[in-house]
Amino acid sequence: MCDIIWCKKDMGDGKVCDTVNYLDPYCFWNWEGKVACAHCGTVYYIHMIQGHMYAGPDEKPGEKPDILPLYADQPNNGYFNYLPGIEGRTRPYTCLPRHIYLGKADMVKFSIRGRPVRGWRPQPPSAGVAGSQGYFWDIEKLTPEVWEEYQEKIRKGEVKDW
Amino acid sequence: MDWEKEIQKLKVCDFEELPGPKSKEELEEMKMPFEDYCRRVFDVGNEFVKPEALKGVRWMSTTMYIFTPHSVANLAELGAEVIKIEMPRMGDPMRHTSPFNEAYLYPLHDTRPMTGTGLGFTNANSNEYFITLDYHVPEAKPVFYNLVKMSDGLTECYRHGTFDRWKQGYRHVMEINPRFIYVWGGGFGYGPKIFGGSYDILGQAHAGLASITGTHEDFGGHATKATNWVIDWYSGTQISVAIMAAMYWRGKTGLGTMIEFSQVQAATRCCGYAVPLYGRFGIVRQRWGNWDTQLCVHGIIMTGKSDFPDAQNPQDRFEARYVMVSAFQDADFQELCNIIKKPDLFSRYKTHKDRVGAPAQIEIYKAIEDWAADKTRSEVVRILKEAGLLAAPVMNDREVYECEHYRQRGTVRWNDDPLFGDILVQSAYSCGLLSKTPRRHRWLWRPVGADNVKIYHELLGYPMSKIQELYDKNII
Repeated sequence: MCDIIWCKKDMGDGKVCDTVNYLDPYCFWNWEGKVACAHCGTVYYIHMIQGHMYAGPDEKPGEKPDILPLYADQPNNGYFNYLPGIEGRTRPYTCLPRHIYLGKADMVKFSIRGRPVRGWRPQPPSAGVAGSQGYFWDIEKLTPEVWEEYQEKIRKGEVKDW
Repeated sequence: MDWEKEIQKLKVCDFEELPGPKSKEELEEMKMPFEDYCRRVFDVGNEFVKPEALKGVRWMSTTMYIFTPHSVANLAELGAEVIKIEMPRMGDPMRHTSPFNEAYLYPLHDTRPMTGTGLGFTNANSNEYFITLDYHVPEAKPVFYNLVKMSDGLTECYRHGTFDRWKQGYRHVMEINPRFIYVWGGGFGYGPKIFGGSYDILGQAHAGLASITGTHEDFGGHATKATNWVIDWYSGTQISVAIMAAMYWRGKTGLGTMIEFSQVQAATRCCGYAVPLYGRFGIVRQRWGNWDTQLCVHGIIMTGKSDFPDAQNPQDRFEARYVMVSAFQDADFQELCNIIKKPDLFSRYKTHKDRVGAPAQIEIYKAIEDWAADKTRSEVVRILKEAGLLAAPVMNDREVYECEHYRQRGTVRWNDDPLFGDILVQSAYSCGLLSKTPRRHRWLWRPVGADNVKIYHELLGYPMSKIQELYDKNII
């Protein structure tokens, strides 16, 4: 966890919410927006930079949350907890970080000796069940344009052994 | 005394009386010069036509980063069938540890086509099959135990007692498979520091290795770690040695073993004589940087000019100016003193005992570097070699790649990876050569869960519907 929001909202009957909402780094590492408490639904504004709480949490009564925490519990109440994926309280755990962490690399199509490298993005969908992949990716079928470029390199003598 | 007769008596084997070669090829082999013989028996580039030493061994790998994965990659390169088990959709964290974004190879997993695996994963996971299993949840236990029944061993890297708590530690799996060899590659292992995980740098620091690496503070140095994760690679290999011994033991007794391997402990072995030295004299060993405490001259010196002053890359432009020099025997040292035009140095430090002391070394190395201050690295190497001394340039990665010695031995080579295409690797070929059962590099790695069907369906016999169900539940 990069941080928590320990909700101390007065519930009205002399009790406080006393719920710890865990902010997971996969989503909240760099984040500005509103998060709802999993127990009482109080909306908090937070601004997190590189895993540190830069601003907030500030209550935003009447506003809608942008996102829910992944997990929350009440340490002072026998660790009563909300597991991931409870509708309206916690976010489902899909194992996927936010899109900005999914990488935008510069792609290299050819190695330093001029032969094609595969494994660039995006890749075609998997060939099989449960994420299974075949044992050989045919560059000619996978990306004909790179294959063409490779043939051109061969013709120009730009493909070397070392 | 008739020495001829005495020697004859001592002879265990008389080569003259051995039966001759059994074939023309064998005759040719016996007549070959040794260099040709080596080239023929090791036959670089044709490793795949030979058998594999560990074929038939199946190993489970619930490992992460470099230390424990490398112990298993060693087996896979020698022919074992290694099943790397990773967390569903996430994979080994090492996949996300890459020097530069350009180095990513895609995809990480079917559901993550825009995320790749970094080249930091290289060499620690070659030739393995990659499946996913969240083995700590109860529904995954039968799957895990089924794999245990069909495997020879397992390497795991979790913290103290984690697998035991999850009912998949050695005490549990030995009940299922008494021949099972179980490796726990913990950071600190058991003992007072049980809660500590480990990293390579922690191993180097905690074992005392970093305290004797680098230059002394008197010369502006500090305790230093080797830039790459040498203790990860080293201690991983030490685990492989333990696994081989355990397999030999099992061959004799039919019983498995638990191997407990603390990374910080393994690094203490690299400290060499530091420990007995302290025990005998109470001396705490100090850093001595690029020189040697036992031999002088036997160190790395800095010359004045780079070999590539116009290169764009700073490693070439500024760093290509270090030379390893060795001239510790009296005659060699005298020759060196003559070359650097300091014959008085030899007259003052005639014996090795005279020159190996710290003040002498400081004076001698300074004199060599003063002489080299107006020379390039290659000039220094050439002059010293022509005088019959041992000298070699300190090479960078590019020079290793271009080194003809490594190319002819196949140490560094291009591999057409079945998935990722043209890849420059050392991996299996950087280790010792075996004439009959050489190591080999099949593939760099595969995406997370790429072999789920191969292992769950083809090996364990699960129907495809069951595999899909486990996948949908995030268990695989």
